[in-house]
Amino acid sequence: MTKVLSIFRKSDAKAPRRKSISLDRKKARAGWIFVLPFVIGFVLIYIPMIAESLIYTFTDVTATSLKDGIFSIKAVGFDNYQEVLFNHTDFVERLVSGTTQLIIDIPAIIIFSLFMAVMLNQKMIGRAAFRAIFFIPVIVTTGIIAKTDLATQSTTSEMEGGMESGNEAQQSGGVSQIVSAADFGALFSNMKVGGELQAYVVDIINNIFNIVNRSGVQLLIFLAGLQSISPAIYESCSIDGASAWETFWKITFPMISPMILVNAVYTVIDSFTAASNSVMSFIQDVLAGNSANYKASYGVTMAWVYFLIVIVIVAVVAGILSTYIFYQRKET
Amino acid sequence: MTNDTQNVTKVKKQTKNKIRVDFERTSLWQRLKIKYLSLRFIGRVIFVIFRIVLLLGISYIILYPFISKIAGSIMSPEDFADVTVALISRNPTLDTYKAILEHNSFMDAMADTALLSLLCALIQTFSCCLVAYGLAKYKFRGNTAVFFCVILTMIIPHTIIQTQMQQHFAAFDIGMFGKGLIRSVFGGMPLNLINTNWPLMILSITAMAFKNGLFIFMLRQFFKNIPDELEESAYIDGSGIFRTFFQIILPLSIPMLITVFLFAFSWQWTDSFYVSLFYLDKTAYQSFTNVYAIPQPFVEAIGKAGGSAFRAAIQNTASLMIIAPLVVVYLFCQRFLVQGIERSGITG
Repeated sequence: MTKVLSIFRKSDAKAPRRKSISLDRKKARAGWIFVLPFVIGFVLIYIPMIAESLIYTFTDVTATSLKDGIFSIKAVGFDNYQEVLFNHTDFVERLVSGTTQLIIDIPAIIIFSLFMAVMLNQKMIGRAAFRAIFFIPVIVTTGIIAKTDLATQSTTSEMEGGMESGNEAQQSGGVSQIVSAADFGALFSNMKVGGELQAYVVDIINNIFNIVNRSGVQLLIFLAGLQSISPAIYESCSIDGASAWETFWKITFPMISPMILVNAVYTVIDSFTAASNSVMSFIQDVLAGNSANYKASYGVTMAWVYFLIVIVIVAVVAGILSTYIFYQRKET
Repeated sequence: MTNDTQNVTKVKKQTKNKIRVDFERTSLWQRLKIKYLSLRFIGRVIFVIFRIVLLLGISYIILYPFISKIAGSIMSPEDFADVTVALISRNPTLDTYKAILEHNSFMDAMADTALLSLLCALIQTFSCCLVAYGLAKYKFRGNTAVFFCVILTMIIPHTIIQTQMQQHFAAFDIGMFGKGLIRSVFGGMPLNLINTNWPLMILSITAMAFKNGLFIFMLRQFFKNIPDELEESAYIDGSGIFRTFFQIILPLSIPMLITVFLFAFSWQWTDSFYVSLFYLDKTAYQSFTNVYAIPQPFVEAIGKAGGSAFRAAIQNTASLMIIAPLVVVYLFCQRFLVQGIERSGITG
């Protein structure tokens, strides 16, 4: 019966057009149904939270009872920002050092993870085992584990410093001081490069544990990017007589460059939640009410100031990188 | 013409179907020399050695903390006072493990965390999957806007809105500053969700929990790489949109789903931020933070010589015990981790 009906409808002049519209509509509606959970949450929960948080930075909130949702709010304009940025030097100091650390870490993490991804992408004995080892930190050394690691490392290194001024073999805890600056100085003095680079490299190598721990997801993204490069390109390169070095810079690097942007942005964002982020832990202390000379609204303001600075960094990094990015046109 | 004379072959034996020829080959020594004494081969060998040394070195850096933690966990307090003991204990003991098991309510924390992580990871995987599929495969007005919002939730860290999050879930309603829609219409007391699983469940269902933006991003790339023809043929065969999704797309993407599940599970497992935000009462949720306390029998020993090293060792032991189940899960899933990522073909 229904079949007959549909045939009947098809013969109608208007019906086919209406049907094609309704299919598009049906698909659009299905799309909305799929993203609905997120949209509902975003509009009803997330936006109010963000807006409230932003309003906090312009007000003086004296919560009579935060838990029951009773507030008394007084608008103060930019007073919070002024107070945080100009009257609290310890926050600004931390902000500067934290931001510098972030800028130092970005290239180190990107270069390290790219290098390792290229290594782990080659065919060799034990590749699966190496990959498994390299992804352990992503899974295991996160959150509370990373925090505790950091805490125990700092206590043991303090203890070592107090006891034997660094000469004593370390007893437990993490890797500290793999190379000394003097060793590297000898190496670099022959290479005629500046002291800044030397200090940078020494800093990176002593932080290698931290950097390895934080480059897991980036490594995964790079590996995925490398996998998506067609082997035919490499084959034609090797037939044309290109060396591995040339192939890397002429093929791999341009093809992977969109991933570099993604990873740079991800690294910056991820550093917010990194256990080693001193600025964020300071802000969290303030927010938890552990610092006596800070009001609750200062904590929120600090968080936003820090966030804005980081967003500027993201924008700058993305701006610089996007001029060098090569996008492969997909032929259709 | 000279070539011909060189390549002349002697016919040794010829039958109807087979022919056996004898030709001059360069000697074995010559061949080996050409193959192995070239600059290219030497360069290759040096590169392979360099690579293996580098990979082993970095693997050591990754694994060393675990080795030292395991070494420290079986040491007795006397070992820490002894300066000559570095990594291998003189009197190994399992007391640290026992003490943490007995005194730090480890099993309670484990049970609570396992339940919460499993729930969160399952829900997050599912909801992120839905959102990512909708974004990847359906063109509707506002698609890019929704994706932009997803990226926004990824880049605004939850740490900067933590106070607001806590307040919102302490008096759960739709609205701001405690003036909610539901309450102003229906009246009644604010709904307190603190100390229940609901805050994290709600964040998971709406795909806004920890790093869900990243999951959606990864899954979206993965779904985009699945050819549209697959779904079209399913539609033609009379399968509906949701049936296609559940019966065709999801089974295809199992490695990727396991990857996302693994991330969600392990990040929730080691999480201390959300847990400290949403569970204020120890009886409601026993978090791993309490496992790090110094067990009662060792409080005395901490004050003695080598005490701070012992304290660190106790905490490291607690870490080890917390991550042990994770490592087991990881060993089972790591095959899928690389596989899923490889197939995703993420491109910018």
